Amino acid sequence: MNVSRFLTTTSQYAFLGVAAFLSLFPFLWMVISSTNTSIDIISGRMGLGDAFRTNVANFFTLVDVPLVFWNSAKVAVLATLLTILVSSLAGYGFEMFKSKARDRIYSLVLLTLMVPFAALMIPLFMMMAKTGLINTHVAIMLPTIASAFIIFYFRQSTKAFPTELRDAAKVDGLKEWQIFLYIYVPVMRSTYAAAFVIVFMVNWNNYLWPLIVLQSNDTKTITLVVSSLASAYYPDYGVVMIGTILATLPTLLVFFVMQRQFVQGMLGSVK
Amino acid sequence: MYHRTILSRFVAGALAGASLFASTAAFAGEVTIWCWDPNFNVAIMKEAAARYTAQHPDTTFNIVDFAKADVEQKLQTALASGTTDALPDIVLIEDYGAQKYLQSFPGAFAELSSKIDFSGFAPYKVQLMTVDGAVYGMPFDSGVTGLYYRKDYIEQAGFKPEDMQNLTWDRFIEIGKQVEAKTGKKMLGLDVNDAGFIRILMQSAGGWYFDKDGRLSIEGNSALKAALETEQKILQAGIFKPAAGWTEWVGTFTTGDVATVTTGVWITGTVKAQADQSGKWGVAPIPKLNVEGASNASNLGGSSWYVTANSSEKDEAIDFLNEVYAKDIDFYQKILAERGAVGSLLAARTGKAYSEADPFFGGEKVWQNFSDWLVKVPSVNYGVFTNEVDTAVTAHLPSLGQGTPVDDVLKAIDSQAQGQIQ
Repeated sequence: MNVSRFLTTTSQYAFLGVAAFLSLFPFLWMVISSTNTSIDIISGRMGLGDAFRTNVANFFTLVDVPLVFWNSAKVAVLATLLTILVSSLAGYGFEMFKSKARDRIYSLVLLTLMVPFAALMIPLFMMMAKTGLINTHVAIMLPTIASAFIIFYFRQSTKAFPTELRDAAKVDGLKEWQIFLYIYVPVMRSTYAAAFVIVFMVNWNNYLWPLIVLQSNDTKTITLVVSSLASAYYPDYGVVMIGTILATLPTLLVFFVMQRQFVQGMLGSVK
Repeated sequence: MYHRTILSRFVAGALAGASLFASTAAFAGEVTIWCWDPNFNVAIMKEAAARYTAQHPDTTFNIVDFAKADVEQKLQTALASGTTDALPDIVLIEDYGAQKYLQSFPGAFAELSSKIDFSGFAPYKVQLMTVDGAVYGMPFDSGVTGLYYRKDYIEQAGFKPEDMQNLTWDRFIEIGKQVEAKTGKKMLGLDVNDAGFIRILMQSAGGWYFDKDGRLSIEGNSALKAALETEQKILQAGIFKPAAGWTEWVGTFTTGDVATVTTGVWITGTVKAQADQSGKWGVAPIPKLNVEGASNASNLGGSSWYVTANSSEKDEAIDFLNEVYAKDIDFYQKILAERGAVGSLLAARTGKAYSEADPFFGGEKVWQNFSDWLVKVPSVNYGVFTNEVDTAVTAHLPSLGQGTPVDDVLKAIDSQAQGQIQ
């Protein structure tokens, strides 16, 4: 083993170490702070404190935790399943069915990625108001279901899907929906897993649109609740930290459970 | 949808001979309110709602708490989309932003001039919600300012509490130099990336970023110029402890590192939270600038309640605000004692909580003093773009410390502000 290789390896590890520290520190800080009082947090205390139970108790008195979690979970899970169903069908369709208009329509779909949400917000809000959906969870989910990014992601992954499988299935007399359901979905399961992780995170952390649409305390999701706690004139940061931990846990959990499939899916593997 | 119930009850009440229903049953709707801060505005509104429902049992309240930025975002979206049925009946708006909403969305908020007697409120609070002579809100918490000072440090430097009353800023700086020489403590904490201090000084001399007609006024604004000069003198005298951000700034006085704090009355709770400093603090009027129209009173922050014009519960909402916020002296005692909230109703000072001597401040009647100063806060026009101009001012504050002449700083602020407003 020569010196230059040793140096390269060391510097690589040093770089990765710094990067890991930078990404992990906020989480560490969050966990440490959840055990301290607000005053200790402000003064930058780095050690573990003994206020964890008080913070949790305060959080549970201020917030109707089961209701808020139920709201968040309902919205995130349903929106994720619907998004994946609709967008994977679209991605499949775009790749499988050839026509002249296909790529033009596809470009239009991708073009919507460039429109910032802030520009869509007011027209969307008017649509929801006209259909009487303001302050409902349906209103949060509807605009997210047809996701241009996920359509794009599925179409790209579908390029690796062996068309011979589809041809063979056709010869065997399977209808298109059967091919999709019994052949495509099982083959693409790591793609589905990766999409699930991404879409779930986006929906769970969704903030701006729920904020605009939701109007009452009993429909609010966890992101709105934490934001409200943090914006007090004198926020109790200990309580805010409990809120952020609870808001982070589900996405972490989903990620760790599906980590292996996620990585495979991102690499675009087809089994 | 509530109209019918209200109307039928009215008719029933009238038919049954007014006496039966007169006191209670005129309204039966649900009043929805948006505001921020669960421990302050939300808690205070719940108290107000409880007081009203005690007299009007048919009225219910739905108080929804969102973050302050979230309330503004929601309000802006609903107003801009013209979807008025998505608006609450009552909404809390920060005073600096009031004119923006009132002028950008004319007709969106209920005019209250004929329904509420505004003569009983601090004049500057009423002025900031007035458009073309019509008043559109219910004045709520005040940010009337005071000079909180450490009696022990001041005395070590050879001064008495009497020496701290009605100062000028030049005198304040002289005392600051003495305090540092004798005690080693800085006179004040200062965040040079925050324009709050400038806003306090400017309003104390009756000035703002805008003139009385709401036009941008930077160059040639004597109050703003004097405020910037004062900050520059303080920076050059070195009598301040620098702070980066709000929490660090709060830390300058909670840790006992500085001798004074000049800010809004809402800081009182934070000052008093340091129990070991009890008896060491005093509160005086803030020092004044050396320009025409200068006074020892000013304001920082504060917000007020607004009723939306298309609310189906409009009359009920107005009646509620009028009954509690414009009349209930006892309510103001309770929110002062429990939440540290100083309202804008001048008569509140006659109550018990306002009359109490506070041992933390060595037995001073601080609330009486603050309500004296409340009347004197100069009225200014906060204009439509206070936050935008504030960004321009903040951007150029650090150059004061580098010794850039104030006239040049004003010029730079002016050109940036012009750009941001257009």
